[in-house]
Amino acid sequence: MASRPKLSGLQKQVLGLYRGFLRAARLKAPEERSQIESIVSVEFRKNVEAVDRKNFLYIEYLLRRGKKQLEQLKSVDTIKLSTLEVGQKPQ
Amino acid sequence: MKWIKDGGAKVATFLKGDEKRLDKNFPALKDHPKAREHAAQAAKLSAAVPEKAPTKTKKFEIYRWNPEQPHRKPFLQSFFVDLSTCGPMVLDVLQKIKAEQDSTLCYRRSCREGICGSCSMNIDGNNTVACLKPVDADTSKATMITPLPHMFVVKDLVVDLTNFYHQHKLIEPWLKLKKPSPAEGREYLQSPSDRKKLDGLYECILCACCSAACPAYCWNSEAFLGPAVLIHACRWVADSRDDFTKERIQALTEDEYKMYRCRTIKNCTATCPKSLDPARAISTMRTHYHNNI
Repeated sequence: MASRPKLSGLQKQVLGLYRGFLRAARLKAPEERSQIESIVSVEFRKNVEAVDRKNFLYIEYLLRRGKKQLEQLKSVDTIKLSTLEVGQKPQ
Repeated sequence: MKWIKDGGAKVATFLKGDEKRLDKNFPALKDHPKAREHAAQAAKLSAAVPEKAPTKTKKFEIYRWNPEQPHRKPFLQSFFVDLSTCGPMVLDVLQKIKAEQDSTLCYRRSCREGICGSCSMNIDGNNTVACLKPVDADTSKATMITPLPHMFVVKDLVVDLTNFYHQHKLIEPWLKLKKPSPAEGREYLQSPSDRKKLDGLYECILCACCSAACPAYCWNSEAFLGPAVLIHACRWVADSRDDFTKERIQALTEDEYKMYRCRTIKNCTATCPKSLDPARAISTMRTHYHNNI
């Protein structure tokens, strides 16, 4: 097995958050579970491309926001996750 | 023969032209000579006011950061506000800037009278609530407005206070009884001298100014409760109606972080916008515990 690159503390936190979302998704109904997993993975992959590795301020902001959203998702009363695309304002 | 005199006056004004008709906008005062004199005087005085009041433009440097534009680093944006057209407090200035110059400026505010604790921010190096802080009228110096220090910023002057509120919940800030509750409609009785013990403790508005100013809270905000939460803990310990005093103190003193991280730095007392004394409250709680074990 090839040696994995050493992950920084911040990277570990991001991966931990992703893992938390997947674990929370497992506790929901099967069709909602796949939807949650797809939404979360799309969001994380989008930010990987969009956010600069050195922009710690923004990454920490996204981590805090993600943790709050995860707390909401973990609650038993939350049944599903859905996203809404807001259109661009006409120039 | 008033109508002859008035008729003559009317003809005279008609011939003179309309420049002197100062009551043009006041049809109810039409033709009343006393009202016309009074209106003329009032108009002359009010016209002089803008010339007499000099424009006092002051520079405000306000911290800006937008999470929707993450590539931009945080910066200080300068705004110039005419203080003679604005209310006396810093919150009035912020409202004016948001209304007239930049509506994307983001800050919390609610009561505008220093009771809700929403508008807490760092103004010229000191943590206060913006609605109780008068603007320094010296126009030669700029005023710097930044969010509460050592707190994570959500946007512009808004900070993340979830940890602060969570710690407040931890101390269980409600009345806990062992004795049976009083009869229907009856109050929990308390003598005036016992009620006096709560003065200086219950007024805390949870603005977070003291906790943001405390270096001990900045060094370990997860474990140390901070002066605001500790003054609330002291308020419940001092309340004679509460039966769980011993348990409350025990919860605070069981480990070395919740209360004992306090180093009596007293930044909290210096910065409190309500002139409360968290440092004294914490030290009375410490002596109370040491005297009663």
